[in-house]
Amino acid sequence: MSPRIPDTHAEAWAMLPWLANGRLEASDREWVEAHVAQCADCRGELEAQRKIATQIQRQASPNTGSEEQRSFNKLWARIEASEAATPAASAAVGGQPSRTSRTVRWLVAAVVVQGVGLALFGFNAMQNDSSRFVTVADAPTERLNAPAVRLVFAANASMADINTLLTHQGLSIVSGPGTSGNFTAELSVDAVASGASADSVAAVISKDPNVTFAQPVAR
Amino acid sequence: MALKSVETPSLRAPGGTPDASERELLERIARSKDQAAFRTLYSSYYQRLSRLLSRMSVRREDIEEVINDTFWVVWTKAGEFRGASQLSTWIIGIAYRRALNALRRAKIRPVSDEPFDEDSISVMSTDAAETDGQWLAQGLARLPVEQRMALELTYTLGHSCEEVAAILDCPVNTVKTRLFRARETLKQVLPALAGMSGENS
Repeated sequence: MSPRIPDTHAEAWAMLPWLANGRLEASDREWVEAHVAQCADCRGELEAQRKIATQIQRQASPNTGSEEQRSFNKLWARIEASEAATPAASAAVGGQPSRTSRTVRWLVAAVVVQGVGLALFGFNAMQNDSSRFVTVADAPTERLNAPAVRLVFAANASMADINTLLTHQGLSIVSGPGTSGNFTAELSVDAVASGASADSVAAVISKDPNVTFAQPVAR
Repeated sequence: MALKSVETPSLRAPGGTPDASERELLERIARSKDQAAFRTLYSSYYQRLSRLLSRMSVRREDIEEVINDTFWVVWTKAGEFRGASQLSTWIIGIAYRRALNALRRAKIRPVSDEPFDEDSISVMSTDAAETDGQWLAQGLARLPVEQRMALELTYTLGHSCEEVAAILDCPVNTVKTRLFRARETLKQVLPALAGMSGENS
């Protein structure tokens, strides 16, 4: 099929902005350039449009350097909060774990090992005393209205670092990882008795290099 | 809020065209909810969206909300992008529609009703380029938002006519008409340009 060759001044005139910005398709560029070459009005208009393009590009852009990071942090917190609120739905949508960092894998492994250990312990206890059952369900479970924080560990945080951090703050992981690698950790009864709160702990651990995100959980 | 900075990663998408690189980032977001890829994509659009939205007269306090609403869609719908268009037209199109909603909510008229103030231009600067810029700023402010966006998308972001039509969700001929009218309006307020171009058809 041969290309359409419009040769009207009006059509070429309408295309001049894209001749000026270099985004005309080759098939159009050919006939528009041919028209411009023999049309003084279009040459003048093309020059005018190039001048406008230059001036528009020179117009100062808003200075957003410092705002961008703050803005992204707000968005990320929104995503974290949403995914924590609907972990099952998010997992179903994502289909795969959101983060495959070493930290997350270690923590998942730790939870599994903890579960297996508790199950074995339960089995042994059952052998010794059938009236006493200890099962996986005895792993840390959420206490009603216990202060808690939502956190994400740095990708390069070691298991030892994480253990130290959690122990010092009196935290126990009760759920996670979410689809974005987020965990929920509760404050121990002792930590609460000593005056710690979700806000204060989140403020402290957010400064820890092993943590990239920490936020009190509203309960 | 105790959110700690998620610093801009040094991650750079591998070579190829900008669109191919950005599509690879989007695939990583869709496939594995890759935060670093998301951060990189966010960073590559933040400045241009900020500028575009400010050109639309979106209030400064609403610009961040529009950008984050846009990237919320990118995060949650990344897997649904089928590549029928450029990724940039998809993202900027979302931002454009969100911005229109923000303008409606704020009851902002995106066209200046102020009479054109020639005196304010003449006393602002004696530098020719700077004066042209001031004339242009006043001229742009007088354009309806659709015409202003067509100009901005064409001349600042360098989109083709078809891409502008996709972003603004209108026919290609409508884009040409909007730019035609914008050019005529600017010619009336830009004396240097008015004298530069010949009579149009």
